Amino acid sequence: MSTTTLEKPAVGAPTKQKVMLCEGNEAAALGVALARPDMVAVYPITPQSSLVEHVAKLIADGRMDADIVDAEGEHSVLSVLQGGALAGARTYTATCGPGLAFMFEPYFRTSGMRLPIVMSIVTRDGITPQCVWGGHQDAMTVREVGWVQIYCETVQEVLDTTVMAFRIAEDHDVMLPVNICLDGNYLSYGTSRVELPEQSDVDAFMGAKDVNWHVALDPMKPMAVDPLTGGSGGKGPATFVRYRKSQCRGMQNALGVIEAVHAEWASRFGRSYAPLVEEYRLDDAEFAIMTLGSMTGAAKDAVDEAREAGRKVGLIKIKTFSPFPVEALMRALSKVRALGVVDRSVGFRWNCGPMYQEVLGVLYRLAREAGTVLPAMSFIGGLAGADITIGHFHRVIDATERLLDGPAPNEPVWLNEND
Amino acid sequence: MGRAYSTIAFDPAKCDGCGDCMTACAQAKTGTIDRARSRIQIVGRGDTIKDATKDATEKAFELALCRQCADPKCVTVCPAGALAKDGASGVIGWDASKCVDCLLCTVGCAYGGIALEEATGHVSKCDTCDGKPACVPVCSKGALTYVTTANIYNEVGDWEDLFAPGLAGCQGCNTELLMRHTLRRVGPDTVLATPPGCVPGMGSVGFNGATGTKVPVFHPLLTNTAAMLAGVKRQFKRMGREVTALAIAGDGGASDVGFQSLSGAAERGEQMLFMVVDNEGYMNTGMQRSSCTPYGAWTSTTPIGAGCAAGQPAQGKTQDAKNLPLLMVNHRCAYVATASTAYMEDLYAKLDRAIEASKTGFAYVHVYSPCTTGWRFASDQNMEVARKAVETNFVMLWEFTPDEGLNFTRPVDDPLPVTDYLKAMGRFRHLSPAQIEHIQGKVEENIRFIKRFAAALPA
Ligand code: SF4
Repeated sequence: MSTTTLEKPAVGAPTKQKVMLCEGNEAAALGVALARPDMVAVYPITPQSSLVEHVAKLIADGRMDADIVDAEGEHSVLSVLQGGALAGARTYTATCGPGLAFMFEPYFRTSGMRLPIVMSIVTRDGITPQCVWGGHQDAMTVREVGWVQIYCETVQEVLDTTVMAFRIAEDHDVMLPVNICLDGNYLSYGTSRVELPEQSDVDAFMGAKDVNWHVALDPMKPMAVDPLTGGSGGKGPATFVRYRKSQCRGMQNALGVIEAVHAEWASRFGRSYAPLVEEYRLDDAEFAIMTLGSMTGAAKDAVDEAREAGRKVGLIKIKTFSPFPVEALMRALSKVRALGVVDRSVGFRWNCGPMYQEVLGVLYRLAREAGTVLPAMSFIGGLAGADITIGHFHRVIDATERLLDGPAPNEPVWLNEND
Repeated sequence: MGRAYSTIAFDPAKCDGCGDCMTACAQAKTGTIDRARSRIQIVGRGDTIKDATKDATEKAFELALCRQCADPKCVTVCPAGALAKDGASGVIGWDASKCVDCLLCTVGCAYGGIALEEATGHVSKCDTCDGKPACVPVCSKGALTYVTTANIYNEVGDWEDLFAPGLAGCQGCNTELLMRHTLRRVGPDTVLATPPGCVPGMGSVGFNGATGTKVPVFHPLLTNTAAMLAGVKRQFKRMGREVTALAIAGDGGASDVGFQSLSGAAERGEQMLFMVVDNEGYMNTGMQRSSCTPYGAWTSTTPIGAGCAAGQPAQGKTQDAKNLPLLMVNHRCAYVATASTAYMEDLYAKLDRAIEASKTGFAYVHVYSPCTTGWRFASDQNMEVARKAVETNFVMLWEFTPDEGLNFTRPVDDPLPVTDYLKAMGRFRHLSPAQIEHIQGKVEENIRFIKRFAAALPA
């Protein structure tokens, strides 16, 4: 099921899990350790730093057997991992903001080489103005580069999704790098109760590692990795097109793989998450608000309060942002008559939130295929670490409800403008 | 079976006709000091040896000695089969049991390399004393050297060339020569990184899915060669497999945009052999300036403007080259060396040490690689340009280890003026006298600097 109304999971045998209290960055590190990568490369940057510190400590304590490379910058961090992956290593790193920007050159190439590298983005707003605080601008800016991008809502989800990310990346029908996006500040430092699966259970879940069956640097099977493609007139462009189509196919395959991996996780560990798109109180809703990441908790509270006041509002949360879950969103959006989309970043070209802009494409499909024209509007909040409170979401709910009878504004609403 | 052989070389400019070599040979071969019985003969060209009335510079001496010819006429003319060239050593041996004393060989030889030894009544000739000629070490003037350079071809000639034939380098490309020699020395258990530049550009990394190399090869970014290669090597180490991580990178990608990753990998002691092919610019992209381009050189981004013709100061690059190998010494790499394809034996010796060092640390080899296209000289002049660079001290050949410090491997005590190098190519054609003076001054400053540096390190 790509569109899931969350229920208590129907689970098999209960699994022994340690309960502990930790911040999101530590939860990510614990998830990494459970996935047993061969190689991690690190370079510190706020608000990611404590994540790689936790990874380094896990290795130093002997709780994780991985080669750790303290590289001289993010560009090399990802490059080291590319080399490792080509030689057969399961690999991991984390970054954000300016670090991700500096990494862009190898970042683009990772998906092209189909290297199943897993990287957390502890999301941070873009500079300038200078800012070390949370926001989705970094991850949103690189959404079109062929990485799978999955956003988490809770600290537990960070831990669980981090492990799942390796399975998704390494699936032979996918073979793409995966970003687990966790909100800087709100998830990175937010402390919460988590359940830690047993290593042996995770080992059974992970299965055998085989990351370079398709492309390898190994004297036992010499090949030219990423040779040049010739220019027009030769077979170069056609080779290139086949490459790109294959990447797109991998992305589309990822939708099903993400669902299957989440389903298996739920059955083994008793925790289920809507893998692509979560629908919250949507079935009898007249209108919906849409969220991404950690803001969703406050948004759900606001929806609950509005429901108590008799208003027919539901919530749609996107978990998998890349590949964009078009079909799942069409099913969810077909249930409502108006939509308010809350972004934590800015789409400069369209003067709206980038997620809103992406959803417009889905709304076009809906109009064409179901004949429904859904009024929608864009909200931008939570920039530079700002809190999107329940109060802010009430404003979102109010404004979205007005779309049912009134005109839809073309300007976005900037939620924290007057805080 | 060898294809090239060692020989005794003679520099007439250094010979003063003392005859010590002849004495040594006579002693070694006959137990006497009878110079007439020496197999090496130094003969005055129209002058008498030790003619005190002549100025030394007017004296000229010639060498009568067997050259151990590849196609020996003495062997051809000998009717008795008494002379034969040894396939392994290259020495032409004489068999007394077969010789009929006809002396035809003495007529056949153009070098006076085989002659009648009156005392025995038979011919005698040089046998190089089994590779340790007695004459060479006694020559205090340095006129005699036992040249073993060619031996590397005997050693490496049968090793597999691990690049595909027919790479699309420019005619006479020095880099292709260097690549082929390097990879066949390093061998097949190698992962090769060739960042953007001439090395992959000539097809070593392949086109459209076909490879140009018999070892696994990849095309890193211009910026991340050392980092990617570090990841490859680390994973093989983790798997317990011995694989050499080799980069063959251009100077631009190493000294400019890729320097961060190079420096980081060196600082971490990543186990690899990083070779920089220094053709002093971005030659593959159209001969633009890099930070390794020397002062005064024309490149397509340091062009010669009309101002030169108008009598303005000549142009070209207005800054001196970055000394990348010395920067790598300052990283305390396990091994750092400079090398030149004009001195192949030196290069091979350094490759051996670099490969060994790369098993435990970062090894860096910086090879000066003249570029016929970008430096503007005829394609048959590569070795000449490479040699002149060293003979003028424009390029210095040395090696460094943290334990041994920095040592010159081919010191040039009496360097040629740098103009001998500059005039060998077109990229310096426009230089003004002031610019030439600057370059000559820089050469001298460099040699002083690096000598001080060498002295400051453990020897
Ligand atoms: S002298 Fe002896 S070595 Fe010379 S040609 Fe006659 S037989 Fe041969």
